Amino acid sequence: MCGIAGIYAYHYAANPAEREELRRIRDHMSARGPDGFGEWFSSDGRIGLGHRRLAILDLSERGLQPMLSSDGNLAITFNGEIYNYRQLRARLESQGHIFRTDTDTEVLLHLYAEKGEAMVNELRGMFAFGLWDAQKRALLLVRDPYGIKPLYYADDGWTLRFASQVKALVAGQKISTNPEPAGLVGFALFGSVPEPFTTYQEVRSLPAGSFMWVDRIGTHDIKRYFCIAEVYRSADAQKPRRTNDEVQATVRNSLLESVQHHLVSDVPVGAFLSGGVDSGALVGLMRDAGQREIQTITLTFEEFRATRQDEAPLAERIAAHYATRHITRLVTEQEFREDLPKILDAMDQPTIDGINTWFVSKAARELGLKVVLSGLGGDELFGGYPSFNDIPLSVRLLSIPGQIPWLGALVRRLLGGFAHGFNPKTASILEFGGTYPGAYLLRRGLFMPWELEGILGKEVAHHGLRRLDPIRCIGEALDPEPKSSFGKVAALESSLYMRNQLLRDADWASMAHSLEVRVPLVDATLLKQLAPLTGQYARRSKRLLANSPRLPLPNEVVERAKTGFGTPIERWLRRDNRVQRWKQIPALNLESCPWARRWAVQLAPA
Amino acid sequence: MGPRRILALVADAFGSEGGIATYDRNLIASLASCRDVAEVVVVPRRGKSTIKLPPRVHQLRSVGGRAAYSLAALWAARSHRTIDIVFCGHLYMAPAAAAVAKIVGAHLWIQIHGLEAWHALSSPYRTSIEAATLITAVSRDTRRRLLEWVAIDPGRVKVLPNTLDPRFQPGAKSRELLDRYNLHNKKVLMTVSRLSAKERYKGHDRVLRALPRVLSQHPEVMYLIVGDGDDRKRLERLATEHGVDDKVCFVGQVDDQRIVDYFRLADVFVMPSTAEGFGIVFIEAMASGATVIGGNKDGSLDALCDGLLGKAIDPESDEDLLEALNSALAFPSGYDNQVQRFSREMFADHVVELLSQVFPLH
Repeated sequence: MCGIAGIYAYHYAANPAEREELRRIRDHMSARGPDGFGEWFSSDGRIGLGHRRLAILDLSERGLQPMLSSDGNLAITFNGEIYNYRQLRARLESQGHIFRTDTDTEVLLHLYAEKGEAMVNELRGMFAFGLWDAQKRALLLVRDPYGIKPLYYADDGWTLRFASQVKALVAGQKISTNPEPAGLVGFALFGSVPEPFTTYQEVRSLPAGSFMWVDRIGTHDIKRYFCIAEVYRSADAQKPRRTNDEVQATVRNSLLESVQHHLVSDVPVGAFLSGGVDSGALVGLMRDAGQREIQTITLTFEEFRATRQDEAPLAERIAAHYATRHITRLVTEQEFREDLPKILDAMDQPTIDGINTWFVSKAARELGLKVVLSGLGGDELFGGYPSFNDIPLSVRLLSIPGQIPWLGALVRRLLGGFAHGFNPKTASILEFGGTYPGAYLLRRGLFMPWELEGILGKEVAHHGLRRLDPIRCIGEALDPEPKSSFGKVAALESSLYMRNQLLRDADWASMAHSLEVRVPLVDATLLKQLAPLTGQYARRSKRLLANSPRLPLPNEVVERAKTGFGTPIERWLRRDNRVQRWKQIPALNLESCPWARRWAVQLAPA
Repeated sequence: MGPRRILALVADAFGSEGGIATYDRNLIASLASCRDVAEVVVVPRRGKSTIKLPPRVHQLRSVGGRAAYSLAALWAARSHRTIDIVFCGHLYMAPAAAAVAKIVGAHLWIQIHGLEAWHALSSPYRTSIEAATLITAVSRDTRRRLLEWVAIDPGRVKVLPNTLDPRFQPGAKSRELLDRYNLHNKKVLMTVSRLSAKERYKGHDRVLRALPRVLSQHPEVMYLIVGDGDDRKRLERLATEHGVDDKVCFVGQVDDQRIVDYFRLADVFVMPSTAEGFGIVFIEAMASGATVIGGNKDGSLDALCDGLLGKAIDPESDEDLLEALNSALAFPSGYDNQVQRFSREMFADHVVELLSQVFPLH
């Protein structure tokens, strides 16, 4: 896990790539890679690649990056893990490729030499890389299927810069920081910035599951090689007839295989453990995969001690169940207050979440861990969110009245206009609730589109809504549209909330502590295996997960987890006199205003 | 797509003077030089087609009025068999070009020069741009400003800079001009541009304001203002107000044939402009051997290569300007071969590359 950077002066009129700038970009990401750093420039100085290393596979100096192919024709800077690299390597060796290191990085070089861009279809893992092909004089930028690892680029028309973090590109001091209204609007709507936008006009995210070539004419069209909606669509076309036992066996085998892949490491792998099913089942599967010593970590908060909100007792119960070495890490308000400036500094793009991950990552690093598994993605894969019921219900009830032209907007205007303080989402229900994208916006929306003028100002709201086009943006997650309601909601949640919010938060909050978070439930191979099954078992599918370890999760975990746990972070933020910006906006001063809205206003770039 | 046929809708091209006409001519000639281009049909708004045309370029008679022009463009598209690409040489013709491209089923390529695209235009222009397969802008700055108001994949907007006419080369100062303007043993500071009241952003005022303090350090300086226009009288008064009228020479409009000689007179070329699309005069001055000072807020940065080929200053800072002028007069950097990156050969190669990659033959 690392930080990657590059500068490619592709245009004939551009100045050569500048070494100092590359170092500024690279070294802004020193927390992503404290174990080593490197840089490489082509002999003509047109391209430079940089790397910060967190050593996990082949800890020797040979694993340093950027790495060159032995003929010097290829150079790569790579962030992430290729979990099937050993299988790929064995095949490449049998084809005559000779390896110099034990890294997955070198596998990428050989695989590219063999397959070209088609290599992307063979990679299992989380990754973002830039690969320079000197013969083609072209740079290939690639991002993993789910977008677990970030990759941002800024193209000014002469020079393309890329990095793992937006703030690193800004630290290079050569890019425009003009704001992108679509990014600002996206943040206000969703609580995180939806790809491909960022809060800066010039900086874009390479979309998950896609790659892009850059050569002397600049960027070429982005090509998508993986699409979650497509997996569900083709899964919906299959009707596997299996007994319950067969289904359970398939789920178990697929999960176990994914966990085994995610344990590939030359350093110990720990686990975040909550009181829930997802992380608990993962720990059980880690044991099944043969890991004896498992370090698990749970957060607890002073104020929630011995209340139903506290997940520590249940996590301890799971830890004992699987005989892990367990730590319950206490977070106090004092520590939170001290860390808040660091949190805001590490937050790469504004997001209303991620603070929990900050503290649990901090705890893992205190224990000396470099790698942990997380149960992130379980709710998307196994239909754990209420949205799996609510959104299809909303669409069933409202699709017909929602089609009456202007009715929804009229109702919203009446309710929003006359009843001051009326819940904005309730006012919008007829306007949006009748379609999947609209109902999703209602479900996940922080603010409604028509509220944005009051938050962001008329111009930004207007331009941003036009450029983002939120309903179309959400609708893209349903292209091609899965048939089943489960497939639709799963595609929406995985392509939007998980991708833009959960995975981004997991990345910045863990990397700030030089910790690699691995997510075995966010895996394209696993998805292809389970998508035909999870939808059919929608109501019980979390149970499939709980029963997957050889020693299943205790029943009380499955039952208790349904009602969820809490954190006092909201309460702490309310008491923090550094968080005041929301008070300037009348609509946010209502007693009933959800705290997340106020927090979003605090975080929004001024 | 077989060998491509391109319809070029331009304001002026062959037979006209001026920066945009020159740019369009270079571009059309480069396109026509591509192996897989069968023909470029040019429909100009103005100008005569008496000039000799490059091979495979066919220029129709110019058509004035907007509606008549649109019809002529459509007629040209229809009557010249298959048109694969409609090239639109100026944003103001984009709606017509987009309509023609749509009717004949061709790709649209729009060229952006500068100021015209810096501020949001009405929806017909915006939607035309958003419908284009390729947009080329003369500078990074112009590209960025366009992207602020159109919603388009930024990868479709490429930079295609102005080019350097090979006439501009370093050379001895013309004795005749030295005599005419009494410049023997003088250091020459120069600005070349139109003197238009609408284009006060060029920054003559700022140079005149700095001049007294420059003269206190470099009394041998003469400031030559080349170009003419409706703002000249005001600038002359301004020079008097600053007490430097004897150190400023308003040269007026210079014949294009002689412009190289004028550039060669300049020791320092200065134009602290805030609104250049690209600023071709900078590279012409550099290629003629002058040390160049320009602004860092607009397309000038491209011509100055971010300060590598001249000094890029905050054009609105009097202090920066004064410092840059004093330093350039004391330590002129002279000719730098790097300016040849803007040569026509580089431009033509890039045009060929764009054409073949963005509009591949199937």
